[in-house]
Amino acid sequence: MFVYEKKLQYPVKIKNCNPKLANVIISQYGGPDGELGASLRYLSQRYAMPYPELKGLLTDIGTEELGHLEMIGAIVHQLTRNLSDDQVKTAGFDAYFVDHTTGIYPTAASGWPYSAASMAVKGDVIADLTEDMAAEQKARVTYDNILRLSDDPDVNDVIRFLREREVVHFQRFGEAVALAKERVDQKNVYYVNPAFDK
Amino acid sequence: MNIDTNINSRPCADGCGTLPPCAPLAVPYVPFQQEGSQKYNQNEALAHGTLFPGLNLPFHLKVDAPNLPKTLAMELQALQFVITELGLYLDTHKNDTEAFQLFQQYAKLAKEGRKRYEAMYGPLTQMQAAQETAYTWLDDPWPWEYKGGGNK
Repeated sequence: MFVYEKKLQYPVKIKNCNPKLANVIISQYGGPDGELGASLRYLSQRYAMPYPELKGLLTDIGTEELGHLEMIGAIVHQLTRNLSDDQVKTAGFDAYFVDHTTGIYPTAASGWPYSAASMAVKGDVIADLTEDMAAEQKARVTYDNILRLSDDPDVNDVIRFLREREVVHFQRFGEAVALAKERVDQKNVYYVNPAFDK
Repeated sequence: MNIDTNINSRPCADGCGTLPPCAPLAVPYVPFQQEGSQKYNQNEALAHGTLFPGLNLPFHLKVDAPNLPKTLAMELQALQFVITELGLYLDTHKNDTEAFQLFQQYAKLAKEGRKRYEAMYGPLTQMQAAQETAYTWLDDPWPWEYKGGGNK
């Protein structure tokens, strides 16, 4: 089960509101490479994993991603606090505002609501771990792109932290592939799917 | 930064890891992080987003150096961050006894840091809320709230 801790993994303290930037960052909440998809992907994939290291790693990274989801929600919330009537009309944010006011809704920056079609659970050890490595890379690029679009130092400090976590997670998933390979036929790692074939 | 004493016993430089000499084709390979990798202290680790200098690979766009406030909250965040980071490392390096000992040391520090934090700011969990004299669980601020700055 999960127990809530009333604190963030890393401090989020955004001094100035900026609805246009919020409209971009919301993508890491509910977009195709966002933190909601990341946590759902890992926490769902773990059921099929046959080895303890992989069950543990997917549980632990999936849990950390839930903390990142909360941090992204905090950024968007703080960027849209106390908006003036003019700020609400900011191009790009007005479309979000009409549907959600300043609530936090899991959507991509493009307006596409969160879709589980942006993630996969294949039930195969190497296929799922390879997907996870790609997912970390795509999230890393999204954070690179947010850094290109944002000139708010309070936001960038948090984004830089989250981006570095993608790099570390990629490393661990790569090691997880190596650990999985050690357990299977060394001449042909695809001879069976150890998540299904007993 | 804590430079490990066994740094010279590792086969590769700190930002590199080991690969098998021979390996089957058509599967991904990421070098395995070596045991005894260099580590930041907890505050540097939180600031960089990783405990390991060898994994610290920032983007080219310059971001202001993090100016983390020296608060009880930050102190606890830093200690718990190292536990998260070492936990992931141990998931793929369960036989690294040195890393496990460090994990235990940080867990002890975090337990103390937690007590100091909760004495000042209130309970971090509902379980802890039961130890208070009244139901303070609901007290503001919640983690996503920040009263500083802001327009209007």
